[in-house]
Order: sequence, then C-alpha cells, then structure tokens
Amino acid sequence: MDLFIQQEMLSLIDMSIKIGKVLFKNPIITASGTFGYGTEVSSLVNVSKFGGIVTKSITLNPREGNPPPRIVETPSGMLNSIGLANIGVDQYISKKIPLYSTIGTNIIMNIAGTTVNEYIEIIKKVESVSSNIVGYEINISCPNVKRGGMEFGIDCDLTEKLTESLRKITERLLIVKLSPNVTNIASIAQSAEKAGADAVSAINTVVGMSIDIHKQKSKVYTKLSGLSGPAIRPIGIASVHKIFQAIDIPIIGIGGITCGNDVLEYILAGASAVQVGTSNYRDPGIALSMIEEIKLYGEKYIISSISDIVGVVSSNTK
Amino acid sequence: MKTEDVIIINNNEIASEIWEMEFLAPKISSNYKGAGQFIQIQLDPGWGNPLRRPMSIASCRDSKISIIYKIFGQGTKILSQKISGDVLNVLGPLGNSFQYKKNNLNILVGGGVGLAPIINLWKELDELRDNSYLIIGAKTKNEHIHSHNPDEHIYLTTDDGSMGLPGTVMEALKVVYENVKSSEVFACGPEPMLKQIQSFVIKNNIPAQLSVESYMGCGVGICQGCIISRRNYKNKNHSYHKKYSLVCVDGPIYSAGDVIFD
Ligand SMILES: Cc1cc2nc3c(=O)[nH]c(=O)nc-3n(C[C@H](O)[C@H](O)[C@H](O)COP(=O)(O)OP(=O)(O)OC[C@H]3O[C@@H](n4cnc5c(N)ncnc54)[C@H](O)[C@@H]3O)c2cc1C
Ligand SMILES: Cc1cc2nc3c(=O)[nH]c(=O)nc-3n(C[C@H](O)[C@H](O)[C@H](O)COP(=O)(O)O)c2cc1C
Repeated sequence: MDLFIQQEMLSLIDMSIKIGKVLFKNPIITASGTFGYGTEVSSLVNVSKFGGIVTKSITLNPREGNPPPRIVETPSGMLNSIGLANIGVDQYISKKIPLYSTIGTNIIMNIAGTTVNEYIEIIKKVESVSSNIVGYEINISCPNVKRGGMEFGIDCDLTEKLTESLRKITERLLIVKLSPNVTNIASIAQSAEKAGADAVSAINTVVGMSIDIHKQKSKVYTKLSGLSGPAIRPIGIASVHKIFQAIDIPIIGIGGITCGNDVLEYILAGASAVQVGTSNYRDPGIALSMIEEIKLYGEKYIISSISDIVGVVSSNTK
Repeated sequence: MKTEDVIIINNNEIASEIWEMEFLAPKISSNYKGAGQFIQIQLDPGWGNPLRRPMSIASCRDSKISIIYKIFGQGTKILSQKISGDVLNVLGPLGNSFQYKKNNLNILVGGGVGLAPIINLWKELDELRDNSYLIIGAKTKNEHIHSHNPDEHIYLTTDDGSMGLPGTVMEALKVVYENVKSSEVFACGPEPMLKQIQSFVIKNNIPAQLSVESYMGCGVGICQGCIISRRNYKNKNHSYHKKYSLVCVDGPIYSAGDVIFD
C-alpha cells in the first residue's frame, strides 16, 4: 500500500461514542456551569465541533445565586460558590431551547432540585415541549446550596429513589452526576445504575475553603465552596477507576481536564466520555484542541476507535 | 471578542508601582468599541495562575493596545516582568463602553489605577475637541503621570498634598462642579471612591457612569462569578438576574443609580 494512503487510514481514529442510545461525534463535552447555556460564546468558538454541551444547572424557579465574592483562584484551580444562579425551567424553555435548533451538537440539560418532586416537575415541563435536548444530567451533588442536592448525593437509597422516579418519566438519556464528597462513590454509582440511569458522570467539585489572612475572612462568601481545575484531577481519575470496577453503564469523567492527554488519562481509567469545566474559562475553545491531540495519539498508537481503550488500565487491576 | 497571542512592544514603569504595557493586537483592536472596554490576560500557559486577569484598555489605535496597571499581587508582578517581544494570550475586547454626549461638560474622574479607562476616554473626547475636565487622584505625587494644570482642565489630587489639590478626588470634583455645573460625570477607581461619587451625583442630581471592578473568572458570561448588586433591572442578553448583574457582560460601566456597593 502506498505510504500516503496508509497514513490517511491510520489517522482515521473513530472518535464517536455512544451513551445509551445517543451518538456523540467525539467524547469531549463541556461541563455544567462552565459553558453557560451553550450559546454565549458562539461568536468565539465553533461549538458544533464539540461532542456535546451540558448546560448550567436549571432549577424549577429562577435563582439569583449567592452574594459575592463567588470565586477565587487557588493553586492549580479555583473555588466557586455560584449557588446555582439560573433562569429557571420556564424561561429556559422559552428563551434557550429555541436557540438549540441550529447548534449542531448534543445538548444535555443539567437539572438540580431540593426534592424528588422538583426534579420530576422540571423534566415533565421539558418533556411537554418539543426540543432537541438529548438528555438530562441530574445534579445530586451541588455542594453550594444549603437545602440542595447534597442529601441525595451522599445517600444510596435517595439516589436510587430519585433516579427511579425520573427514569419513569423520560426516555431521554439520564445521567446521574456524582459528588466526590462521599465515603464510597462507587456504591452511589451502583444505586444509579440499579435504578435505570444510562450513565454516571463524576466528579462534581470537591469541598474546599480559602481564607484572606489580612481581612481574616473567607475569600468566598459562603466560606465552604467547590474546588475545580487540575488540582482535583487525580481525585477524578481515582473516582472513575473505582466506579469502573463497580458498574457496567458508561462513565463520563470530569475534573481538571486541560488537554488531550488528560482526556486520555480519564478514558484509560474507564471513562467513555469526558467533560471539560474550569479550562473553558481560560479558553472557551480549549475542547477543540483536545480533539486534535487525541487524533494524534490515535495515530501514534494505532487505535482504530476511541472506545477500544476505555478502562484499559482499570480492567488490568481488576 | 477574540483570543489572540499578542506581542509586547513596551512594558515600562511610568510612575511609582504603576506600569504601562503596549502590545500589538490587530484582531482585538479591530473589534474595539470604545473607552471602558477591557481585556482578559492569561499570565502563563501553565496553571500557576489559573484565571485570566482583567485590565481596562488605556488606548487602542493602529492595531496597538495599551494597559496601565498597578502591581497588586503575583499576577501583576508577572506582567511587570514581561519584556518587549514576549507573547501573551489575550481575550477581548470585553464589556461595554462609556456612552457620552459630544459637547457636554463632562467631568472625568480616575483614582489609583482606575485612571486607565478614564485617560482613554479623555483622549477620545479630546479628539472630538470636547470641553471636558479631568480629575486624577493618587496617594502621593510619585504615582502621578500628569501635571496639575487647571488651565488645561487637568486637576490632580494627592492624599499627602505633595501635588495638586490636597485630599481625594472628591475635593477636586466639588471645586470643578461648582465652577462648571457639569452635565455628566465618568469615574473609575477603588470602590470607596466610587461610593462617594455615587452619593455626590445622586445628591446633586447629575447623571454619572461608573466603571466598577469585581473578581472575574471567564469574562464572557459563562461562569457567573463576577457579580455586583444591582438596583435597577433591565433585561440584558446574558445577565438576566434581578438582584445581581454580571460585570463582564453587563458592565463594567453602569449608571451610578443602577449599582449598589455592598
Ligand atoms: C473590568 C476590570 C478592569 C480592570 N482594569 C484594571 C486596570 O486597568 N489596571 C489595573 O491595575 N487593574 C485593573 N483591574 C484589577 C486587576 O484585574 C487586579 O488588580 C488584578 O487581577 C490583580 O491580580 P494579581 O494577581 O496581581 O493579584 P492577586 O494576588 O491575585 O490579588 C490581589 C487582589 O487583586 C484582585 N484580583 C485578583 N484576581 C482578580 C481577578 N481575576 N479579577 C479581578 N480582581 C482580581 C483581588 O481584589 C485581590 O484581592 C481591573 C479589574 C476589572 C474587573
Ligand atoms: C463556576 C462553576 C460553576 C459550576 N456550576 C455547576 C452547576 O451548575 N451544576 C453542576 O452540576 N456542576 C457545576 N460545576 C461543576 C463542574 O461541572 C465540574 O463538575 C467541576 O468543575 C470539575 O471539573 P473541572 O475541574 O474541569 O472544572 C461548576 C463548576 C464551576 C467551576
């Protein structure tokens, strides 16, 4: 075979992946809360090249969020306590969903609630209108809202009950987003799987805190806040590794991804896809360069499909 | 708005602890709307300082942009160590700009490094041969880059009285306002200064536009980090909140009556 043709063929790593019944053109998705509603930076970035976009958490009623300061930089990361500021499901349906008709990528709606009924009501409202949203990511793990998801996220039975209730009302993709702030993340993942989730995503932010020693005050208004960025990547990788050994449904890896190599680390640990969060704040187009980097890796190690290497490292240690 | 690798032309200390950096940024300049807009500078490709640093545009012409900054902490220290020829990744131009009426008697007030957008506006109005007044405040004369020259409508103040009028910009504002009964005030500076200007203009019933600061994350409305409490609610494209406004997309310029300094 002509060398040129051979190289062409080698570079054709199949980047597409499937979660539930949904096909993603590549495994790189933007993480909830770090890419707005998906439409803000469309003049800056060609979002149609992304594998998908997860929206900011949407709640039943609009939320103003927490008072400032809401964010602060920390070593290799940042703390945030936005407090789920969002427009609420009704305005989301009337103002944002219509914008998705031409977006060219998979939109996953992230939802948050304080009771099972709130989650149900949000999904029912969205299911009652026509939209091209491919699925829901259930935030059971936001650490910033006092009466919020935390109760679900740390409890296997509650996670199972919530997932079960939502599974009954939608055929769309159902992804349960897990918190690292628990004793055994794999057992929560098992509860989600048992109740019919199509996938789990992990991890949400890690509880953290930072203090201004001159003002003798917390740097973030709520004192406790959520740590993200490369600082939490090893925690994310370890979580995916543990979950991979406990469940059979796909895992979406999240936490501190900055480049193609970081994506690969997650995939080798057991993630079928990944979400990129904090890195978007440095460069909203960062996901695009990751896609190219993974193609090069595919060429170098002669990988025909990205799904071939999912969990290679974690299954070795089983 | 664009991200661009810009090439530094100059980076000099122009007054005590105050630096001016000029760089070549053809893409960002071509989208520039006017004084008041800002950019977000990435300090290094690594993650030593994860977030970009917001800086007001102090001038923009011939594909060149300049900023004026003060060394506050690690990030601005890194900026001051850059030399001509170095490359920085910059996102911009961001935010809104001052909206002025030509031929008004505008009073421009800048305090500390809040002088960057104010000087930019001063130059913009000067080109229109506008009859404006410039007031700049600093702690001491070493921090000033202008000369006190009331004939040219330039009023400087120093906290220690070492140059211009002694006291804060408020002393100069009262003097100038008494004389000219200005039609609009434009201000940028530390929050305590903006607060005093806010009460002054509300008391005297004159319109004012304030350029505010807040701790910024993304700069483009996707992280919801940089909020300020707002008084009036206008439905803006990204910042839909009633109680808070995102400084990066609704601001940094607000009508004095629209914001609440907590
Ligand atoms: C719209 C806007 C325009 C600005 N224009 C100018 C300007 O023209 N010249 C100038 O000198 N400064 C300007 N600033 C302030 C400047 O961004 C901060 O001084 C700078 O980020 C400090 O970084 P540092 O690493 O040196 O300080 P750090 O050591 O990180 O912190 C010192 C202090 O700087 C402030 N700060 C730190 N990070 C940020 C951030 N991401 N966003 C906002 N504030 C931060 C905080 O109040 C902090 O307490 C502007 C800020 C905003 C929001
Ligand atoms: C400013 C900010 C806001 C966030 N908001 C949400 C949210 O609304 N819902 C959610 O499920 N996760 C939210 N997250 C968590 C991210 O989706 C992601 O799980 C986490 O940041 C770890 O990924 P990263 O290290 O790539 O940022 C937020 C993160 C940040 C930094």
